[in-house]
Formats: sequence, structure tokens, C-alpha cells
Amino acid sequence: MEQLICQIPQQIVNGITLGSVYALLALGYSMVYGVLRMLNFAHGDVFMVGAFTGWGVLMLFIKEGQVALPMLVLAVMVLAAIGATAVLGAAIERFAYRPLRGGSRLVTLISALGVSIILQNAAMILTAGRAKTIPTELLIPQDLVIRFAGATISATRLAMVVVSVITMILLDAVVRKTKLGRAMRATSQDSEAAEYMGVNTSKVIAVTFIIGSALAGLAGVMIGLYYTQVDYMIGFSAGMKAFTAAVLGGIGSFRGAAAGGLLLGLAESFGVLIAPPVYKDAIVFAVLILTLILRPSGLYGKPSASRA
Amino acid sequence: MLRNLRPKANVMLCGVLVAALLLLVGTAALAAKDLPPIKIGAAGPYTGDVSKIGLDGLNAIKMAVEEANAAGGIGGRMIEIVEADDAADPSKAIIVAEMLAMDRNVIGVVGPMNSATVQAALPTYQRAGLAIISQSATYPKLTEMGYNIMFRICPRDDAQGPAAARFIVEELKAEKIYIIDDKTTYGQGLADQVEPALKAAGTEVLRGQIDMADRDFSPILTRVKAAEPDLVYLGLANPAQAASLIKQAAGLGLDVTFMGGDGLKEKDQLIDGAGGLAEGMYVTSIGKDIREVPEAQAFIEKFEARYGAMSVFGGQSYEAANILIDAARRAAADPMAINRNNVREAISKTSGYEGILGFPIGFDSKGDVVGASIFVYQVQNGEFVPVAEYSASVSGN
Repeated sequence: MEQLICQIPQQIVNGITLGSVYALLALGYSMVYGVLRMLNFAHGDVFMVGAFTGWGVLMLFIKEGQVALPMLVLAVMVLAAIGATAVLGAAIERFAYRPLRGGSRLVTLISALGVSIILQNAAMILTAGRAKTIPTELLIPQDLVIRFAGATISATRLAMVVVSVITMILLDAVVRKTKLGRAMRATSQDSEAAEYMGVNTSKVIAVTFIIGSALAGLAGVMIGLYYTQVDYMIGFSAGMKAFTAAVLGGIGSFRGAAAGGLLLGLAESFGVLIAPPVYKDAIVFAVLILTLILRPSGLYGKPSASRA
Repeated sequence: MLRNLRPKANVMLCGVLVAALLLLVGTAALAAKDLPPIKIGAAGPYTGDVSKIGLDGLNAIKMAVEEANAAGGIGGRMIEIVEADDAADPSKAIIVAEMLAMDRNVIGVVGPMNSATVQAALPTYQRAGLAIISQSATYPKLTEMGYNIMFRICPRDDAQGPAAARFIVEELKAEKIYIIDDKTTYGQGLADQVEPALKAAGTEVLRGQIDMADRDFSPILTRVKAAEPDLVYLGLANPAQAASLIKQAAGLGLDVTFMGGDGLKEKDQLIDGAGGLAEGMYVTSIGKDIREVPEAQAFIEKFEARYGAMSVFGGQSYEAANILIDAARRAAADPMAINRNNVREAISKTSGYEGILGFPIGFDSKGDVVGASIFVYQVQNGEFVPVAEYSASVSGN
């Protein structure tokens, strides 16, 4: 029992770290669902591409086992991953989803699954299916930690949470304060009416995809540095968890996705206090099932009556 | 088609040819051009997470076969390798075993390399009467299930586990040990051997599990940290996963000694992968580091010149391939009479085979290797350094 209690501060830290990444991913999921009413199952794999881009950039800068200017390299990694995933997101939207717009939602869903399979297999072939090690310690000293109330907070974790929170605040401002954000909200509420009001919904959808994918890319780099390893399958479980977080928060809702991500991260961490750690993924999906049964529209979601 | 109209002439021609070949004693290389090739299977993970050890193994098998072919093959028949990639996945291991079994020219198999893939494929190989020599499958039960085609040149986990436990208790004087395994046949199997041996020695043992697909180890490591053990034993099959776990442990401020099994003794992925944090860690090994064996120097030089740094399974695979080739050469006086059955017989009679592993190899009635030792290595200055040796004989064996 005593052992259980002394784990609590650390599990809170674990939960917040994980939750902040889930939140970033869930945001992308939710935004795309908002404007298109489709589940972008390729989202997790875009995240995986982001993680690999970060790894690739880092490999370029390693000279004799050292990295000069680690902060600069970190920034380049993040920017490259965001750039690569933004382009990828735009391409996916243009070639896999736009031609099918107006058709049945099931068709785009299947197309999304197809994109997911293509990305996973491409990554598997390119890496021969082997996990790539990310030497995080060259960028951020692994033993640089803050000890606080029985918890150990590493610099990597702290950076992840700070970056996630700043990104989410910026995004919230964009959605609420800018013209683009207004167009996104309008498209999300009723895309036909928005179009009549002069909103170029096609452009809004494309931009939403780009932003959502860039968020996934950012999350990918951070998770790569945190796990210290990437492989072609990381997108699958991350995608499922982001989906769960988005549903938990109320899919289509921005703030809901952020809250859902954080809650899910905490649920996973607290779940393993009681259950064996090997069941951590089962806990996540139990949350998904409970949400669907008890509150299908999620924490921030509106009842689905208005959305036929 | 027209030629077949005169079958009798063909038979006669063949007879003359065979007679002529038999006369060519000592000029095997010349004769080789006329005898059909003989095939050996090479089963292992050539893609996927543990493909590093698989490809090292495959390259070593290729070297053994090249050398044998240069020396006249098997009674003048050239050896061909049939590559069978199982990606360390038991279901794929069955499919590739089926493929090897269907090819009647395959007379023996080196591999599979993982305990789980061997376990899954054993019934298929048994049905085909096709002998396998595993270089690295250490799960004890594999040779206890009554299959007569199963051989291995590595000691079993019920030798490795207790040896690890002895080292932990006698040399490291640890009193509280946390064991983490990855639910695989190998990882959990090894952990299941370490645990009772540690408990019998009076230490306190805690256990936890992760999944091979896990990338986030903070949940289990948070538990480990709260338990404050003297040592964490890793029953993991994937050295890259172990490296990642060790790095994440540092991020959680967990300062503890780690120890693992032979599967983790891989410099690239464990030592380099952990970026200095594996320093001081211990691993057991199912064979001597062949760098210390004089007979192995030529092999290591040649291997590393061609393929780069070698893991422990390079030497094991080279040895297994050579034992199979040696057995095939002894299997029958007439090279055309070599078949699966007499190759299996010949493998089982192998004894005192002097190769590059540093001890004479033979098999007991179950197909387990005799005369092997378990070694304990410590990571010192980025290299595995031997620190202890234990006999690998299993009580009741």
C-alpha cells in the first residue's frame, strides 16, 4: 500500500506527459472530423512519419557520436517533421480524400485505411522492419531531472509538456480569433451554409488537414525523443489512442480533444497502479468502450441530434 | 522431347557418367559440375526487430557454405542455401518450414533462431523428417517434447537461468530483484528459470511484464522504482527494447544494476543503443566470446571484413552450418544417397566436433548440446568483458 502511494506523484507526471502528446494527436483527429465528418485513420501513420523524419534529421547531424549545437538540431528536427507531415497531409487530402468527397462517408473511411496501410508498409520496407534508436541523450541529457514531491521529471518530459501546451494555446487562439479559424468553425458547423456565405470550404479543409498533420508530426518527434526509439508500427497504437482521446473529449471539439488526451494519459497511468502494466493499452480501450456506452457524445460534445 | 524417345541410351549414358565420376577421386571440384546440388535451409529472422542477429547468422551460414563448396561441397555436390525468413514470427516460421519441407532436395536446416519460432515449426519439421540445428533457441522444453529432428548447439535456459541467479546472489550479493519479461517464449521462459533459482537462494523476487510492442516503459519502471530493488533482471528478446528501457529508467531517476540474458548481448543495439547508460550492466551468454578462441580468429577476420561487427550469433550460426555439412558428408558413402533420414542420424552421432566455439560439440539423446558453458559478461567501457563462467550441464540431463 505504501508502495502504491509513493508511486502516485510519478504516475501523475507520466500521465501528464503522455496525455499532452495524446492531446496533440487527438486535436488533429478532431479537427479533421470537424470539417469533413470523417475519421482519418491515417493520422497515426502521419505521426509515425513525423517521428522518422526527426530521426533522419538527427542522423544527418551526428558527427563522430556527437551533435554540435543540440538546441539548433532539435529545432531543425521539429521544423523538418512539421514540414514533412504538413506536405504529406496535404497530399493525402488531395489524392486520397478530395476525389471521394461527396460520396459515402464509408468510402473515405476505407480510403483512409488504405493510406494507413500504404504508409505503414512503405516505412516497413524502408527500415527493413527494424526499430531505429534515437540517441536522445545527445540532445537532452537523460539524467537532467527535476525531483519534486517524490516524482522525477526529466528535461525531455518537461519540454514535451511545455511545447504541447504552447501549441494548444496558439491553436485555440487561431481557431477563436482569426478569420481562418472562423471559416473552420463555420465549415465544421455546416459546410454547405458556409459555402453559401462565401467560405472556400475546399481550401479550409485542405488547411485543416495540413494543420492536423503538422500537429501529428510535432507529436511524432516528441514521442521519438521520449521513447528513444521509433519503428513503423508506433502509429497504430498512437492512432488508436488519439481516436479514443478524441471520442472521450467529444469528437469535433477542440477543447474536448485536449481534455480527452490529458484524461486518457492520466487514466492509463493510474490504471497501471492497480492493474499489471502490461494491460496499459487494455485500460485505454476500456475507457473508449465506457465512453461510448455512457456518454457517446463525449465530455464536450453536443448531442448528435442536430447532425443527421 | 525427341531425346526422350531413346530412354535406354540415356540410362546407359548416365551409368557411364556416374562410373566416370567415381573414377575421378581427388578431383571433386571438376566432378561437382556434373552432380546435382544439395540444399540446406537457413531459417531465421531476416526482417523485423531482431533481424540484426538473423542477418549476422545468415551471412555466417553463407560463409560456411562457400568454404565447403570451395572444398568440393558434399561428396562433389555443391551446397545451395534456401533462405527462409520468419521475421521472428511463429506463424511465419510454420509457413517457411512448410516451404523447406516441400523441397525434397533440402536435407537439413540451420535455425530457426528464436525459441518461439522453433516451437511453432517443430511439428512441421518432424512430419517432414527434416533435421534442424538451432544456434540460439534456448527454451528448455524444445528438446523435451519427443521430436527426434531437434538439435541445438546452445545451452538451455534451465542452465542459463540458474547460472544468472548464482551470479546475482554469490557475486553481486543482491537481495531484492525485480524481474521484467516480455511475454515471449524466450523472455518469459528465461525469467521463469531465473525466478525459482533466486527464490531458492533466499532472495526477494518481484515480477512484472511488458509487451514486445511496448515503447513506453514508464508504467513498469515507476513500479520498479517504488520497489527499490538491488537489481533488475530483463527477460527480453529485443536488445533495442532493452536499450530503450534502460534510457527511460535514467529519465525516471532510477539508478539500479541491470542484468539480462544472451538475447541482449548485442553491441550495436544494446551498448551503442543505450548511449553509455548500459555501462556496468551484466548479460549471460550461451557461448564464449569467440574472439577469445584461437580457432575462430580467421573466421572473425573474414566475417568482419565483409559484413562489419559481428554479434554472438554469427559464430553460433557458422558452427551450426558446419556441423550440418559435416554430418551430411558422413551420412552416406554415395553422395547421391544422402537423404534427410541419414543426415539426421549423422547429426545425432556428432561428438567431439572441434569448431570455432571453443569446446568439443556433441549431442545427447534429446538433441541438446553437451559440454557447453554459460558465461557472464559485464559492459565495461562500451565492450562486453567476461567476468564469470559456469558449467551448462542441467541436473537430470
